Amino acid sequence: MGRYILQRVALGLAILVVAISALYAFMISLPGDPTTVLLGPRATDEMRAIFSERMGLNKPLPVQIVEFWGRVLTGDLGEDVLRNRPVATPVFEALPFTLVLILTSIGWSATLGILLGAFSAAYRNSLIDRVTGVLSVAMLAAPSFVVALWSLLIFAVILNWFPAIGAGERGNLADQIHHLVLPSFAIGLAWVGYIARIVRASMLEVMGENHIRTARAFGLPPHRIIYRYALRIAVLPAVSVLGVGVGGLLSSAVFAEIVFARPGIGRLIYDSVITRNYPVVMGSMLVAISFFVLCTLVADVVNAMLDPRLRTSKQS
Amino acid sequence: MTATFNPFTAAQLSRRQLLAGAAGLGAMAAMPIKVWAAGNTLNIRTYTEGDNFDPVDASGFGEEMLYGCIYRKLIQYTPGNEWGWQPDLVEVIEQTSPTEIAFTLKKGQMWSDGFGEITAEDVKFSLERIIDPKMESAIKPDLGSLSGVEVTGTHTGVIKLSSPFAPIWSIALPYLAGTIVCKKAIGEGKRITDAVPPTVAGPYRVAELRPGDRWVLERNPEFTGPKADFEKVQIILIDDEATAEIAFEAGDLDFTRIGLGSIERLRENPPENAVLSEHPSLYYVWVGMNMENPKLKDIRVRQAIQHAIDVPSILEAAYFGVADASTGIIAPGLIGHRAENLVPPQADFAKARAMLDEAGVDTLDLKLDVLNKSTWTTAAQVIQATLAEVGINLSIGVHESGSFWSLGKEADGDRWKSLELVLNRFSMTPDPYYATAWFTTEQIGKWNWERFSNEEFDKLHKAAMGETDTAKRDRMYKRMQDLMEESGAYRFITHEAAPNLYSKELKPAVRPDSLPLIQYFAKA
Repeated sequence: MGRYILQRVALGLAILVVAISALYAFMISLPGDPTTVLLGPRATDEMRAIFSERMGLNKPLPVQIVEFWGRVLTGDLGEDVLRNRPVATPVFEALPFTLVLILTSIGWSATLGILLGAFSAAYRNSLIDRVTGVLSVAMLAAPSFVVALWSLLIFAVILNWFPAIGAGERGNLADQIHHLVLPSFAIGLAWVGYIARIVRASMLEVMGENHIRTARAFGLPPHRIIYRYALRIAVLPAVSVLGVGVGGLLSSAVFAEIVFARPGIGRLIYDSVITRNYPVVMGSMLVAISFFVLCTLVADVVNAMLDPRLRTSKQS
Repeated sequence: MTATFNPFTAAQLSRRQLLAGAAGLGAMAAMPIKVWAAGNTLNIRTYTEGDNFDPVDASGFGEEMLYGCIYRKLIQYTPGNEWGWQPDLVEVIEQTSPTEIAFTLKKGQMWSDGFGEITAEDVKFSLERIIDPKMESAIKPDLGSLSGVEVTGTHTGVIKLSSPFAPIWSIALPYLAGTIVCKKAIGEGKRITDAVPPTVAGPYRVAELRPGDRWVLERNPEFTGPKADFEKVQIILIDDEATAEIAFEAGDLDFTRIGLGSIERLRENPPENAVLSEHPSLYYVWVGMNMENPKLKDIRVRQAIQHAIDVPSILEAAYFGVADASTGIIAPGLIGHRAENLVPPQADFAKARAMLDEAGVDTLDLKLDVLNKSTWTTAAQVIQATLAEVGINLSIGVHESGSFWSLGKEADGDRWKSLELVLNRFSMTPDPYYATAWFTTEQIGKWNWERFSNEEFDKLHKAAMGETDTAKRDRMYKRMQDLMEESGAYRFITHEAAPNLYSKELKPAVRPDSLPLIQYFAKA
């Protein structure tokens, strides 16, 4: 198991280095002068030159990339030249908002999706299964931005149950939860349907396997068979999907943070790309990709722990 | 044999527990938003986030809104429908010669947190640090020819100009660069780098800064002017206009700029307890033509394009019929605004076709570059359709903002060489010099993407900056716009419109271009 984890960590680090370096090169090659966008029309040529030098843009691309990684290895994400502060400041101010949004969304949608999937499989071909199937596909098909806008109109404007914008007062947990409901609903809803479909299919397969038949033959109670033996195996594909899905949720967080005017790393990346604030883009992307790699790694390890066949087959 | 599965027993959840949980969730959901919201708070939207507390590092209206609340100026814009200024820190201020402005501060105007009285030394410090090359302030040009401030007493001083500079009254003193900061709190050659400013003088002070979200201000108890009407002000960052409208309707905002596409709906059916106010905007939108591009070198071709673009159709399709056609780059209400264009807004296809024939052009393939916003892409499609009427095949290049704003810049590659037509939009401050400044010969390859060069225009631009006779200045700017239009390189489209939506419980104070002066907001 230890060797397996080490392999996954090494792979994760390689992905991180390649992805960030490629992104850096891609971003620098985009048309658009950051000094123009950031400093505005009134800045003089001299100011632009100084600004460009402070951002390190006057150096060759490979040098910029090497210097970037050199700084990262010493724990320095660089300097936000525009605001005269370390890049880590806005990144780590924004990160908790996004993490809370993503984890809440994935948490409620996975819980509901797994339950619906198990429920549907247990009542295979019944009316409940069909209704659950239609609902799952409907949730899966509804684009997140449509869900976001409709939920805003219904729950914020008409019913006035939830606030439309912001992340809530600092230090006021109830207010923060209140502000979290609509964005996490908007980006989590599609995942309910997706996970439900995966778990249902997986459960049906597992329920037909020999060890489940044996358990039934021994007279074990149905709920024990389902939750103790079948669901544990059936949930594996969902766990893998969730690990990768966190990356997708990071993308969804960008739009959710814009539509719901929430602070967060997605919005920070979006604003920084638009303004060509390269140091902030790179710092934010490094953290976001690291988070994605970490989630994939955790999903792989959890999968291996739940199903020993995975780690043995991969090691062999 | 098939096992029977009961989800309630399987999950070990009793019916009573399920009902109790559902009731709890229902009660939470039914709780109205106002339970969480604080009272006596003004929630106002900004579409651009202020970057810092130091005017030296300021760049735009994001900071101006904030500075208006926490700092003071010698003079401030007067709220209302006509451009003007009113005294703020000054008791008396007058132009004693074309290059000197004498001022006397009101006595007893205090800095917060024990930094004492606001003095003429603070005025000198504040203005001179903006023009100090070592401070590298991006707003230095706003102070024009300001050379320094002579302090003649604790409360008196003279602002000195190296040459006459008319915009001193319309841009320099009442806008960002005219913000007065505390010398004692900052120190010579230093910047404000603290998380909150060390001292303030305006009606509000900073309570909390939430980057990427909002600025939270609270009433400044040490403010020496009339007490602010609100205990708390939240300047909330919302980029998206649709989100802002929804937030307003949900009660999360009291004042917001809205999109032009919503005006018609809101005119017919305004939200309960809301007021829609419509204002002209200072922005100017035009189609520019790169005069050095081989396809557009012939003035007859450019003028044909001017006549083939039907401005009313663009306004109808892209601006929902709520914006008026512009007559140049200077908006109504400002010195130099022209009553009408040389080329009427309506297209004249026959004339355009005749001009092309005269130039020996049968068909022409051109590209129009635009920003990736629906307004611009819609306008571009209308232009594409109308130019097709005279045999011009137009392709549309859509760019995100970072790419778009470097299209005509020589410093950012060779793309300027292939630039043909561009649908452009510039912002403005309330003085015509700020509009013409971008079209001088010196600006070619920077912001003058049409590469328009006219000696008379350049001379007029310099002269008009120092002209203090309003009538003469007005004629100069009108002539400059005539020259632009005569070159064929510009088809003026609109100044857009600037609608606001606000609560009936609010008495807003806005500039004529609708931008809020939060410091003067009051309860209705």
